[in-house]
Amino acid sequence: MSLFGNLFGKKETSASVARDRLKLVLAHERASNALPYMDEMKADIMEVIKKYTKVKDVHISSQSNQNIDVLEMEIILK
Amino acid sequence: MGIVITVTSGKGGVGKSTTLANLAVGMADEGKKVVAIDFDIGLRNLDMLLGLENRIVYNVIDVMEGKCNLSQALINDKHSKNLYFLPASQTNDKNILDQAKVKELLETLKKEFDIILLDSPAGIEGGFEHAIAYADRALIVSTPDVSSVRDADRVIGIIDAKSEKAQRGEEVDKHVIINRLKPELVEKGDMLNTEDVLNILALPLIGVVPDCDQVISSTNMGEPIIRDAKARSGEAYRRISKRMLGEEVDYLDLSVKKGFFKRMFS
Repeated sequence: MSLFGNLFGKKETSASVARDRLKLVLAHERASNALPYMDEMKADIMEVIKKYTKVKDVHISSQSNQNIDVLEMEIILK
Repeated sequence: MGIVITVTSGKGGVGKSTTLANLAVGMADEGKKVVAIDFDIGLRNLDMLLGLENRIVYNVIDVMEGKCNLSQALINDKHSKNLYFLPASQTNDKNILDQAKVKELLETLKKEFDIILLDSPAGIEGGFEHAIAYADRALIVSTPDVSSVRDADRVIGIIDAKSEKAQRGEEVDKHVIINRLKPELVEKGDMLNTEDVLNILALPLIGVVPDCDQVISSTNMGEPIIRDAKARSGEAYRRISKRMLGEEVDYLDLSVKKGFFKRMFS
């Protein structure tokens, strides 16, 4: 980082661009590769919800961020 | 009982075999009995890195198919009594490895050796699965560039899915080796730094090997750079070898040394 870079805010370096691009692409790839049980689990969850209310669909997405894996579920009601 | 350590990478050409050759020499020099096996069937190259290409008579497939004894195929290193090498075959049939025979061979070797190093083919082909199936530990080699890190991430996921150890509910001990790091580029912000790579791969580090022109001449000569007392990458490999065996060793200082004025105005 040059003296001017330090004085006038942080310059975006090619390494920081690489880092951000990698994080994005891997978050996506991990989500699509990692969960072989996804379909089965989705069907089970739908069955449970149906006991209580009318459900149209369940969307599950997974996100990985360093050591934390998160499953996000969206339940769409009829 | 020996342990099986698989050296792997997602992308090819990141220095996987070079890393393996150096760590094999390094751990043998630390007093361990080591065997290095080239599992990159069809694409033999560990032999040249170790300088043993002229001594090959039999290969790993010959052993598994019973065409020779294990002792006939094992090649002793030129310099180290502790280091042996088992070459890949040059058959075109990549599916020739048989899972049960791989296991049998590794079990036999475990009785004779402390460390069994497997050079896996890059990527996610069949041979890769054989190399990872019985691994106790895995070393993932990546250079600090986007394609190498991305493919490394993919391979890490597969190690967990395909290894017998992971299927038993245990975890394969995985570490990252960052190869060919250029400190000057990192300093300028033009290369991913060690922290970036580790953050992304979410695995512990076992060593960083700086980019080093001497590796090329050492490869030309068939003498792993770890035997060069002066080369920085050789020193990095010596330290990784010790860490592999549980010793705590300081990391090589890879900061760019600059004078005061240069630091101000560069």
